[in-house]
Amino acid sequence: MEFVNNLVTGLLLGGLYAVAALGLSIVFGTMKLVNLAHGQLLILGAYLTTMLITIAAGGDPLLMGIPAAIILAVLVYPLQRYIITPVMAQGEEPPMTVTFGISVVITTLLIIFFTSSPMPIWPVDYATAQIELGGVRIRVIYLIATVLAIVFILALMWILKRTAFGRQVRAASIDAEAAGLVGIDVKKTYARVMALSAFIAGYAGVLIALSGAVAPSSGTSWLLRAFTVVVIGGLASLPGTLYGGFIVGLVETFGAVWIGPQYRDVLVFGLLVVILLVRPNGLFAKAVKA
Amino acid sequence: MSPRIANLLRYGLPVVIGIILYFCAGVLELSTVNDLTGLFLLMTLAMAWNLVGGFGGQFSLGHSIFVGVGSYATAVILTTLGWPLLPAMLAAAVMSAFIGVLLAYPLLRLRGPYLAVGSLGIALAAYGWMINWNFTKASQAYAMPPSGQVSLPEVFQYSTVLLVVTVIAIVALVRSPLGLRLVALRDNELGAASVGVKRVRTLLPIWGLSGLLTGAMGAVYAVQVGSLSVDASFAIQWSLDAAIICVIGGLGTLSGPFVGAIIIYYLRKYAADFSNWALLIEAVVLVVVVRFFPAGIVGLVTSTYKKFTGNRAVSKK
Repeated sequence: MEFVNNLVTGLLLGGLYAVAALGLSIVFGTMKLVNLAHGQLLILGAYLTTMLITIAAGGDPLLMGIPAAIILAVLVYPLQRYIITPVMAQGEEPPMTVTFGISVVITTLLIIFFTSSPMPIWPVDYATAQIELGGVRIRVIYLIATVLAIVFILALMWILKRTAFGRQVRAASIDAEAAGLVGIDVKKTYARVMALSAFIAGYAGVLIALSGAVAPSSGTSWLLRAFTVVVIGGLASLPGTLYGGFIVGLVETFGAVWIGPQYRDVLVFGLLVVILLVRPNGLFAKAVKA
Repeated sequence: MSPRIANLLRYGLPVVIGIILYFCAGVLELSTVNDLTGLFLLMTLAMAWNLVGGFGGQFSLGHSIFVGVGSYATAVILTTLGWPLLPAMLAAAVMSAFIGVLLAYPLLRLRGPYLAVGSLGIALAAYGWMINWNFTKASQAYAMPPSGQVSLPEVFQYSTVLLVVTVIAIVALVRSPLGLRLVALRDNELGAASVGVKRVRTLLPIWGLSGLLTGAMGAVYAVQVGSLSVDASFAIQWSLDAAIICVIGGLGTLSGPFVGAIIIYYLRKYAADFSNWALLIEAVVLVVVVRFFPAGIVGLVTSTYKKFTGNRAVSKK
C-alpha cells in the first residue's frame, strides 16, 4: 500500500513539475533559447501574487494568480522584444547570458524588497489538505497542479494547431527566415511566445508556493528541475513535458523514501547529468556536425 | 619591437611585478594586503574561468566545484594527513584538476546552453552531496587546523604567486598550438575539425588546467578565510562571479578578466553595506554589456582606440 501511495504521490508531484516546465519547453521549442531566468519567473509569479493579495487585502491565491501571471507576461514581453531577441543574432550564448543576467536581477530585486527568507505561506486550506481515495492519500494541491498541467498542455496544443498565432509560432520555429519572408513578424512572435511562457510560469509559481516554501533563491533549483523535465520529455514536445514531469516526480519521491529526503536534489540533478550523458543525441542537433 | 623583447615583456613583466608585490607584503598596510588578496583571487578565478568560458567558448556554471574541492581538500589533507601547507595546497589543486578532467568527459558532449545547464546541475548536485556528507562535517563549519593558519601577508604572497603563475600559464597557452586549436574550435568547429583538430583531446587539458588554477585559488581562499563552510565554498556565486567578470571585461581576452575583476571587486567593496544593490548593478551591467557592447569593456576600448587612430580596417576584424 505504501508503494501505491508513493507511486500516486510521485505522479501527481510530476504534474506540478510539468506545469513548472511548460514555459521553458515552449520557449525552447520556438526559438531554441534556454531561458536561464525561467526559475526566477516561477518564483516571481508567486511573489507578485502575494503583492496582489496584500494590495487587495485578501483573495484566493489561485484567483489572484491569474492577474499576477498576466502582469508577469506584460513585464517580460519587452524584455524579449528589445533585449533578448536583438542579441540572438550574435549566436547561441549571448541570449543565454542575457537571461542569466535577468535571473540575477530578479533574484536580487526579490531579496531587496522581500528579504532572503522564505515567502510567508498563504493561509488556505487546500494547500495542506489531503483526500483519501481507496486507501491512497492524495495532496489536493498536487491534484490541482496535475489537472492544470493537462489543461495547459491541451490548451497550448489547441493554440498551436488551430489559431493564427499558433501557425505563426510553428512557422517561426521551423524556419524563422522563411517565416519572415511570408510576412510573419518573427520578433513579435518570439516576444509573444516569451510572454505566454511567462504567464504559464507565473501561474505555476502560485502552485509551487502553495505546495511548499519558496524563497528568492529557490529559482535556480526550480530551473534545473524544469530543465530536467524538458530534457527527459524530449525537447519541445508538449505531452513529453508531462511524461518528463511524471518521471522526475517518481524519481524524487522514491529516492526520498529509499535513499533519504536530503538527497532529493542530488538525485534529480544527477539524473539530469546522466540523461545528458546517455542521450546526448536527442538533446542537440549539432552533435552530428562534429 | 623584436619578438625577443616582446616575449621578455610578456613573461618578464608579470614576474617582476609579482616579485615586487611579494616583497611588499610586509611593508603594506594589513587592510591593503587583505584587499589585494581578495582582488587577486577574484582575478585568478576569472582568468581560469575565461580559459574555458572565453577562449573555449564553453559557458561553464560549474566552476564552484573547483573552488569547493580546492578549499576542502586543503583543509582535509592538513587535518587528516598532517602534511605541510604548501604540498597540501598543491595536492588540492591537482585533485581539482583531476576533477576538471573527470567533469569534462560528460560535459564535452554538451554544447552551448546545455553545457551551462549541465554544469550548473553538477554544481548543485555536488553542493547537495557535500552539505550531507559527514566526512566534510556536512553543514557544520570546517576549521582549518593550526598548520593552515597563516598571517595575512603570507596569504597575500600565496595569492600573488598564484596570480603570476596563472597569467604566465594563460599567456603561454594562448600562443601555443593547443591554444590556437582551442580558439579555432570555438570560432568554427566544423572548420577546425576538417583540418584535424580533435575536440575532446583539445578541451580535456583545458578543463584540467582551468580546474587546477581554480582549485589552487580555492586552496588560497581556504587559507584566507580560515574556516570553511559548504555554503561558501561550493556556492554557485563563484561561477556567477567568474562569468560576470569575464563578460563585462571582455570574453576570451587576456586583459578582460583583470578589468572586470577590478570593477566588480571595488564595486562590491564600496557598496559593501548594500551588497544586494551591488549584485543588482552587476547583473544590469552584464545585460547592458551583452546587448550593446558584446566585446566587453576591453573590446569597447580597443575599438574606440582604433577608431581614433584611424585604423578602421583592423578594428572591423
